[in-house]
Amino acid sequence: MFNSKKAARAAGAAILAGALVFAAGANAQQPKPAPAPSAEKQRMIDLGIAHKTAAGLYQYLKEQAHGGKPLDWRSVPDWTGVWTREASPFFWDPDQGDVTALPTAKLTPPYQKQLLEKLDRVNKGIEFDPLSNCEPAGMPRWLVEPFLREWVVTPAQTYLINEMQNEIRRVYTDGRDHPSKDDAYPLWEGDSIGFWDGDKLVIHTSQMRAGQYQRIQPAYSEQVETVEVWHKSDASTMTVDTWSFDPPALVEPWYAKQVYKKLSNDDKSLRIRYWDCGENQNNTVIKNDEGTSDFKNFTFTQKDDK
Amino acid sequence: MTKIFGGALGGLLLVAAPVLAHHSAVMFDDQKEITVKGVVKEFQYTNPHSWLLVDVKNSDGTVTTWGFEAEGPSTLTRAGIRKSDLMPGTELTISGHPMRDGRPAASWIKATRADGKDLDPRNGFAIK
Repeated sequence: MFNSKKAARAAGAAILAGALVFAAGANAQQPKPAPAPSAEKQRMIDLGIAHKTAAGLYQYLKEQAHGGKPLDWRSVPDWTGVWTREASPFFWDPDQGDVTALPTAKLTPPYQKQLLEKLDRVNKGIEFDPLSNCEPAGMPRWLVEPFLREWVVTPAQTYLINEMQNEIRRVYTDGRDHPSKDDAYPLWEGDSIGFWDGDKLVIHTSQMRAGQYQRIQPAYSEQVETVEVWHKSDASTMTVDTWSFDPPALVEPWYAKQVYKKLSNDDKSLRIRYWDCGENQNNTVIKNDEGTSDFKNFTFTQKDDK
Repeated sequence: MTKIFGGALGGLLLVAAPVLAHHSAVMFDDQKEITVKGVVKEFQYTNPHSWLLVDVKNSDGTVTTWGFEAEGPSTLTRAGIRKSDLMPGTELTISGHPMRDGRPAASWIKATRADGKDLDPRNGFAIK
């Protein structure tokens, strides 16, 4: 379960990891390796490794499902309600767990170096997130952001909505393919196509922009592609098996299981509202001369009042 | 000034960091905590962050308006904090991690109204 203390520790963990790596002198500690995967997780990791590309894994899953079966209005599953991610938003893979461990991704040397340098900057208090001014998180980061979510399933298209930055993913399940290579260009949420394997939604997403899995997680390149298998495993639990393929950044596909929980909303007070960083001047965050985050001008101080 | 407590919390890195998932919290000093007593001037119940503006009377009779930042309306709703809980004029005691640059703003940790009702915005991340 995500709570404030866990989140604080999670943030501190990666910061500490960076500190440990870069601590000077012979006594410098190395962060702990990620915990060994369970047998089930290793099976999923191996499934990713067995395919050279995300498209290859997606095609394999489609063949296993005999092409999948399109939904009609009578077979649309009940994915209604208001949901949120279970784990701390600061971990892409919830199994990173330990507060002194590094992310579970197997990174290429340039991306590993980039991550450690970022953690070192964070440890020094130098951090700026483009999201601060409502830039979209974009896929695949979209998967791990906090706050409220809704899933809207229709026979031909599924809408995956995150409250944060009003980000909506559209998953086309009407049999269409991705745009041709010549017509493709980087998109915040990428281009998602999918099929239904019984009550599971299998998604292939390509055409994403470069970004970072989270502020204290690795970066991904424009070549990143993902495969997701969404399954409502019980009335209040949505599990998503996720593989990221990204040859410039990852030595092998990065597998993680994301879990979202349906929130109780008996009084119907939870509602998703539009986000606009310009709505309240006090929310204007700038990147200052040191490259870190700061508030611009407040409306309530004599110095700042504009 | 009705500043009840202010000072360093100690050197532990892994405790009491503010939870601000939308932007970095480096502008707040998570090793310090301030507590003030005052009255609500305005509750800006906005996305992506809410701001509770609190008028605090100083010892010289002047008033300083403090801003306390929390998550947006949906997270506050999950924490049981509604806009109507903090109408202008409501008396309260509130604590937070202060800005490093000395401006009168902080990340909101906890507030207690004069009638004893506790308002902890961080409860808004509990899954229930």
